Amino acid sequence: MKKIGLALALSLAMAGQAFAGPNVVVTLPWIGSLARDLGKDRITVTTLVKPSQDPHMVEAKPSMILAGRKADILMYNGLDLEIGYLPLILESAKNPKIVPGKPGNFDCSRFVKTIEKLTAVDRSMGDVHPLGNPHYHYSPQNILRVAEGMANTLVDIDRANSDFYQANLKSFAERLHERQKNWHAVPLKGKKFVAYHKLFEYLADEFGFRLVGYVEPKPGIPPSAGHIEKLIEDMKDRKPNGILTTSFYGKKASESLSAKTGVKVIVLPADVGSMPGTDDWFSFMDKTILSLK
Amino acid sequence: MAAGIHMGGPMNIRCLLVLLFSATLVSSSFAEDVDSRLKALEDRSAGQEKKIEEQQKTIESLKGEIAKPKEQEPRQDNQGDASQYSPKVSGFFGGSNLSNPNISLLLDAFVYSSSLKDEELKNRGIPGFTTQGLERRNGFNLGAAGDGGELFIFAPVDPYFNMYANIPFSDEGVELEEIFVVTTSLPAGLQVKAGKFKSNISRLDAQHPHAWDFFDVPLPYRAFLGTEALGGEKGVQFTYLPALPIYTQFGVEVLQGENDLLFGADARSGPHAFAFFVKSSIETTDSSTLYFGPSVLFGKTRNTNIVNGAEFDGHSTLYGMEAVWKWKRSTREGLTLQGEYLFLTQDGNVTDTVAATVDSLHRRQDGFYVQGIYQLGRWRFGARYDALELFADTFKRADVQQRFGETPWRATGTVEFNPSEFTRFRLQVAHDRSGRDGRSNDEAILQMIFGIGAHAAHTF
Repeated sequence: MKKIGLALALSLAMAGQAFAGPNVVVTLPWIGSLARDLGKDRITVTTLVKPSQDPHMVEAKPSMILAGRKADILMYNGLDLEIGYLPLILESAKNPKIVPGKPGNFDCSRFVKTIEKLTAVDRSMGDVHPLGNPHYHYSPQNILRVAEGMANTLVDIDRANSDFYQANLKSFAERLHERQKNWHAVPLKGKKFVAYHKLFEYLADEFGFRLVGYVEPKPGIPPSAGHIEKLIEDMKDRKPNGILTTSFYGKKASESLSAKTGVKVIVLPADVGSMPGTDDWFSFMDKTILSLK
Repeated sequence: MAAGIHMGGPMNIRCLLVLLFSATLVSSSFAEDVDSRLKALEDRSAGQEKKIEEQQKTIESLKGEIAKPKEQEPRQDNQGDASQYSPKVSGFFGGSNLSNPNISLLLDAFVYSSSLKDEELKNRGIPGFTTQGLERRNGFNLGAAGDGGELFIFAPVDPYFNMYANIPFSDEGVELEEIFVVTTSLPAGLQVKAGKFKSNISRLDAQHPHAWDFFDVPLPYRAFLGTEALGGEKGVQFTYLPALPIYTQFGVEVLQGENDLLFGADARSGPHAFAFFVKSSIETTDSSTLYFGPSVLFGKTRNTNIVNGAEFDGHSTLYGMEAVWKWKRSTREGLTLQGEYLFLTQDGNVTDTVAATVDSLHRRQDGFYVQGIYQLGRWRFGARYDALELFADTFKRADVQQRFGETPWRATGTVEFNPSEFTRFRLQVAHDRSGRDGRSNDEAILQMIFGIGAHAAHTF
């Protein structure tokens, strides 16, 4: 009985491996979008986290571990954004290809110039990321570097298609330079915004606007009445151009703040696919920049 | 040896020094040996003088050796600074802790109020199952499982192993509940765990007390395994995760069998507990997941806490079936429904410790629990019903069925507030009729759990 089960399991496992091209498993949707742009139809991309999920609060599921088990490369955001579930996947997937130190373990943040790296930090400061702000997917400059690293890794793992990946990287870079012109044409310099969470620091950095307040008193800590009152006073002085939030993050709190201050709420996509018309990273950035106008 | 030195990093400088010291001694004494023999041919006493001189030299050179690594220390630090600019690679647990493992410390405390007195709680077992009472007192207590603090230490050992230790401690002493390594580089979906660890049979066994959904384990666990479930067992575990379309993990464990209630350390010389389990999971919808799987745990038993004043010697087999359905509408809202069924067979002899009479004992008993946890924002609400002897109540001593009174059952409700991931306040009330004496233990518990330091990701 057990032997039959084992034989069945083995044959199914073989059948799974018959599929051509590297099996790329990514944590977040934007990473999947980049991988698809670079690998196109010659790789299989599986995305673990749904665009509607808050990336800070993801819980590991057996389906994720199973995906990790079958992966040739595991690509993730890094900077401890996935600390709540990635370690479990890495260990429980029982797949030596994706453990740290192997080329199949691809930490996108390795190629990122991080901002807000904290040297002295403890948990009284809320859900902080000591290695730096992890939300760099809003940063075209960093994304280009990640794409370069990603293409090199795909080349390493699947040498037969190295020209294909390099060519895709070239066209990705060209497309990015083209779009950068459009994005920088949008007048954002000198604008001021209040944000719900520390999500948009890279965006502000690159496009020259300022974040003058946060609805959350500390990252990951819901606002208290006292904090909101202070923020309202502050906003009267500073007159920000909008309150930035995302579809899953503090929309309600931001709306009530908007009602009290008359400052409009701007809902930005949190990740690729989280709003209509954000099917890949480029359209996600388009939507983000145009929403800020 | 060299790897051993590397592993400790700066922490082991002292160890390094001792090694260097002894290495130098060995080599120099060898040289001395040859020297002194040559000198002895010429002049024995002069040779001895020389020997003293040489020894002094050796001491001088040793002083130099000792000083050297100290000088190197800041240089190593500088290298560390320089490497900050090279591409950083995230490890298994994120961050970059080479010199120190990840460490976390938990405080688990509760305030207890019961309709029974402390003495009655202590002697309140479940007749026909266990003579072990409840180790809690009305008033202030530390720790749901008797331990007010829990220290967790974990880190990768090298590219092949991760190591974990779980060290609960109370105001009375320290335990080594778990310490084990897990392989990380075996091919083909295989993994080996070895050391002292919590078995993966059933749903709750491998969970740490701070991760339990209720203050205590359900009645079937308490009745068959004890108040801390099976607990840490020495042994080895093999798991296999085939690349199937559906998540299915197979596991085998060979354990020493030291659990007091199901096995007993002296039941046999050598490992005498064995486990098999299968864990499966399917996604029922986009936002819901079903987990299920059978397990079986069997082995030799010799203990004194099944029947009062008697020692049992025989075989036990515990069959289990778990099923969990998790629905997560959003980060804010979710529902978990969970149930387990346990069935015990036990055959052997009981020896009266005073009269030394021997009777046969045959048990076929079962138990189950069902529970639901609803989460909304930082609040969680839970309800649980657990009972024993659902379908089977055979307890035959000398082939005579024993009657212990009413069927043991309990109803429990909880409200939790979790201000952050690292703090939990839980209020639990329970109506416990497991004493089988017509009296109930009506309890109210206010539990507080705080955690600092690194936190390993929770399993599903």
